[in-house]
Amino acid sequence: MICAGIDTGSRTIKVVLIDGESHALLGSGVVDQGIEQEALAEKLLHEVLEEAGVRRDEVASIVATGYGRKLIHAADMQMTEITCQATGVSHCLPGTRTVIDIGGQDSKFLQLLPSGKVSDFAMNDRCAAGTGRFLEMAAAQLGVRVSELGELARGSNGGAQISSMCVVFAETEIVGLLAQGCTVQDIAAGIQGSIAQRIHAMSGLKATPPVVFTGGVALVPAMDTALSRALGHPVSIAPTPQLTCALGAALTAAKRIGLSPDR
Amino acid sequence: MKDRPDRITLDQWDSRYKQLIRSGIQEPEYGGCLRRHVDDGDTRLLHLAIDNSAAALRLWNFLLTEEDRLRNAREEGKTLVGTLKDLGTVPVMAYSMKNVVAFYPDGAWWIPCIMEQNSELLKTADSLGIDDSFCPVRAMLGAFVSQAHFPIPDVLICSVGATCDDLSAIAQRLDAMGHAVQWWEIPHRRRPDPGEEVVSLPGTFAAPKSLVCFVQRELQRIREILVDATGSPLSEEDLNAGIVRANRVRLLLDDLRRKVFTANPAPLPALETLIAEMLAIHFCSDQQECLVVLESLLAEVRRRVGAGVGILPVDAARIFWVNPVADLRAMNMVEDSGGRICGTEYLFSHALDLIREDVPPLEALAQSALADPMVGSPVDRAERICHDISRFGAEAVVVSRIPGASHCALEGAVIGDVVRQRFGLPVLEIEVPPVADSLEPTLRTRLEALVETVRSNRLR
Repeated sequence: MICAGIDTGSRTIKVVLIDGESHALLGSGVVDQGIEQEALAEKLLHEVLEEAGVRRDEVASIVATGYGRKLIHAADMQMTEITCQATGVSHCLPGTRTVIDIGGQDSKFLQLLPSGKVSDFAMNDRCAAGTGRFLEMAAAQLGVRVSELGELARGSNGGAQISSMCVVFAETEIVGLLAQGCTVQDIAAGIQGSIAQRIHAMSGLKATPPVVFTGGVALVPAMDTALSRALGHPVSIAPTPQLTCALGAALTAAKRIGLSPDR
Repeated sequence: MKDRPDRITLDQWDSRYKQLIRSGIQEPEYGGCLRRHVDDGDTRLLHLAIDNSAAALRLWNFLLTEEDRLRNAREEGKTLVGTLKDLGTVPVMAYSMKNVVAFYPDGAWWIPCIMEQNSELLKTADSLGIDDSFCPVRAMLGAFVSQAHFPIPDVLICSVGATCDDLSAIAQRLDAMGHAVQWWEIPHRRRPDPGEEVVSLPGTFAAPKSLVCFVQRELQRIREILVDATGSPLSEEDLNAGIVRANRVRLLLDDLRRKVFTANPAPLPALETLIAEMLAIHFCSDQQECLVVLESLLAEVRRRVGAGVGILPVDAARIFWVNPVADLRAMNMVEDSGGRICGTEYLFSHALDLIREDVPPLEALAQSALADPMVGSPVDRAERICHDISRFGAEAVVVSRIPGASHCALEGAVIGDVVRQRFGLPVLEIEVPPVADSLEPTLRTRLEALVETVRSNRLR
């Protein structure tokens, strides 16, 4: 039986299709978020199904997650991204004890039990600091793309200090640093370090290794290094880090109809 | 079942009210349909889920008619005592006197929520230089300016010292506006030095005897201020009788909280339980009626527990809640997300503990004031929370920050650390502004994730 997970995040919608019994990945897709969330999700699901050669009526169970999960009426069940992220990561990388997820507009710190279940979590609150939005703003300020920040940071001789946690104040700081002649490379490294520190401080939770990094920001080169430095532990990037939450939703969809990942 | 417990909307309450009237319920003078409060501007009621019992109707009407009671008291020539910050001590003294009504003008912090920001109180506070970097208690300044919510008290008494910086600043601004404040000092509740005489306070705290003596002297000064303001005596006997009456309220609340937090299914919603707890601090300006309201609520809870019925599913995640919320809707939200409240610490746990009746009254009140969770270290407060988590069997903790409140900046992390170390429970920190509608999706996600975590760990 085919199961699907739909992750409606703040910046993108992700769909993952799996075989409920074997948990084999049958297809996946990502599309930018928009106003018509449900229509976008439905369209993406249709495309992923078509690409995988699966008919819509063959999908036995759908779980929606992410901040727009309640809008996905095709879903049989909704589950928060905290639980789905933990499920997805534990499936890909069993034994993971800490998950750092940085998305477009929020960031999460998950502590997992050896079983893979969540024991505690923290999320950023009413603030864009420590999120992909912070990176976007900083990249725009430097006149580069987000994807270029990592390469720039690698060329740094020592990251600049960005002390402001607030996006608005950090912007002012970056202007000040540029005016002082600080290199773009050092500022880029400073921005990544600032986000990593913010994540570490935000959680108030202890990072127990192994630590896995997920979310769209995990795709930004060198962010894992910055996080690793801040947490004091090696940080590995999950395979397809943008899709682990949708994968967790698909696995939950399988479990919902008795096709437990534990079996 | 006709009287099945439920949380219903205000629209549903319209017909529920008619049904209750037809059934012959006896309403107090301040009774009536809840809808009329919306006409008075309390529009938040339109977005709340409210318990459907007659006891809850009485509770809500009692709460929402306090301004009328205060105006009536003024017309009857009673002395109005405005007490600030101490949350439960000075009102016991004031209500020991005849023809005195005490209330907390800082209770105006809920007006921006109840009136959904239409009250202009916060804008007035802004114009007075007390902006949103201060906690919503600043709404009180607007209420003093507009005089639209409570009569100006005849005497204002505020505890300072080991209290929130922002409340002290707001009270100072009030004083500078010409509303003279009588200050009394509540010192930091430090741990006793070796060899120092120690007093066990109500609740779980202890303090050096010297601190109790200090506060006792401060309360004696307040006693003299009250006597001067009213022209009435306040004898030891009066104070003793006042303490006995306050304890009657506290005993009822203790019984109510124990039943509400431990019975399964939950017999009373979090929202009504919060309001009931708030009655402890100044009896909503009528001590006698406060007893009737609580007895009625307790009777309803007993009936529900006896019948094995409640307002939530039996598998609701048991959540301990720290700090009152600026938006009352958050209490609905936790239940809509699959949780139930099993224990609270709303900054006034000392007003829920019994006041000693076996020592001189001012000494007893000094001990009670020093048991305030806010005047000691956050670690002490966390210990008290741990004590109550054990008592009520909570499975998770929510620490709800109040925007701008100075104490919230640090205490959440401390409470979280202590609770995690002691019980290994998940601790969620959130911030709830006076109207949290735009944040509802993110708040719900956090609360639902907490519930999922609790349930998943149960299976483990």
